[in-house]
Amino acid sequence: MSIKLNALLNSPWLFHLSTGSCNNCDIEILDCLTPRFDIERFGMLLVGSIKHADVLLITGSGNRKSMERVKRLYEQIPKPCLVVAVGECALSRGMFIHSYNCPIPIDKVIPVDVYIPGCPPKPEAIIAGVVKLIEKVKAGTAKK
Amino acid sequence: MTREEVLGDLRKKFKDDIIEVLDKSPKRVYIEIKPEAIIQVASYIFKDLKARFNTASGVDTRYHMEILYHFLIEDINLLISLRIKIQKPKLEIDSLATIFEGVNWIEREIHEILGINFKGHPDLRRLLLPDDWPDGVYPLRRDYKEWDKNAIRDRGVKCQKQ
Repeated sequence: MSIKLNALLNSPWLFHLSTGSCNNCDIEILDCLTPRFDIERFGMLLVGSIKHADVLLITGSGNRKSMERVKRLYEQIPKPCLVVAVGECALSRGMFIHSYNCPIPIDKVIPVDVYIPGCPPKPEAIIAGVVKLIEKVKAGTAKK
Repeated sequence: MTREEVLGDLRKKFKDDIIEVLDKSPKRVYIEIKPEAIIQVASYIFKDLKARFNTASGVDTRYHMEILYHFLIEDINLLISLRIKIQKPKLEIDSLATIFEGVNWIEREIHEILGINFKGHPDLRRLLLPDDWPDGVYPLRRDYKEWDKNAIRDRGVKCQKQ
């Protein structure tokens, strides 16, 4: 399983999922893919279907309605996969911790591998987080 | 028509229904009217003055509930906010959905979040809350209590007391 993951991380394909965010973190993720901070040169592609993805990027504080869909999507993504939580709202709901519509943080529902803090995190920070994760997996010391 | 002409026209036509006019700034004016006259005033502003309906907002204060309807007249750059005060516990008002279509969804949202009943609305279903939300619990009221036993409301960090 670790050999497969090492091979897949030579050019991981990303799936972007927003569970009720204000769209700032989504704009910063899309900034990473445009020619200024170009991560497409490493082979990272944004795909439209969950069955084609290796890495799941989650933004937004988890709504009640979107948490059921997140569970179903995590069951459908082909394993081995990596989950990245981007932005303060995805880490621990941020300032919406007492809201009536966000009862549970995302990492109690699906296992998360890397947390990228910031509101929104700069594209340099997102790239640094993903690079640290890939190095950790290739060195063999990651959780999987 | 200029701003003074519009305000003078409204004051003259609905002299009994207007309770108070607040001139907030050159671009905004708040007009408070009685709840019974909302359909006449709103259809006058929408049809005859050719204003555009922006949005509606609701608030739960200590003594009453308020709904504000915001209309925009673009040529003279004026935003008119119609304020309606509804006394608790009887929370009912006539719906504007029969006059113009744009107010359909915002009234559904105000109904499910604050619990105000709109009489004559064609389709008063749930819009944003999930299907397993309990009936009769309105989140943005002042007396809303947490009903969910499984909610986690701390960040999981234990602080060390020295």
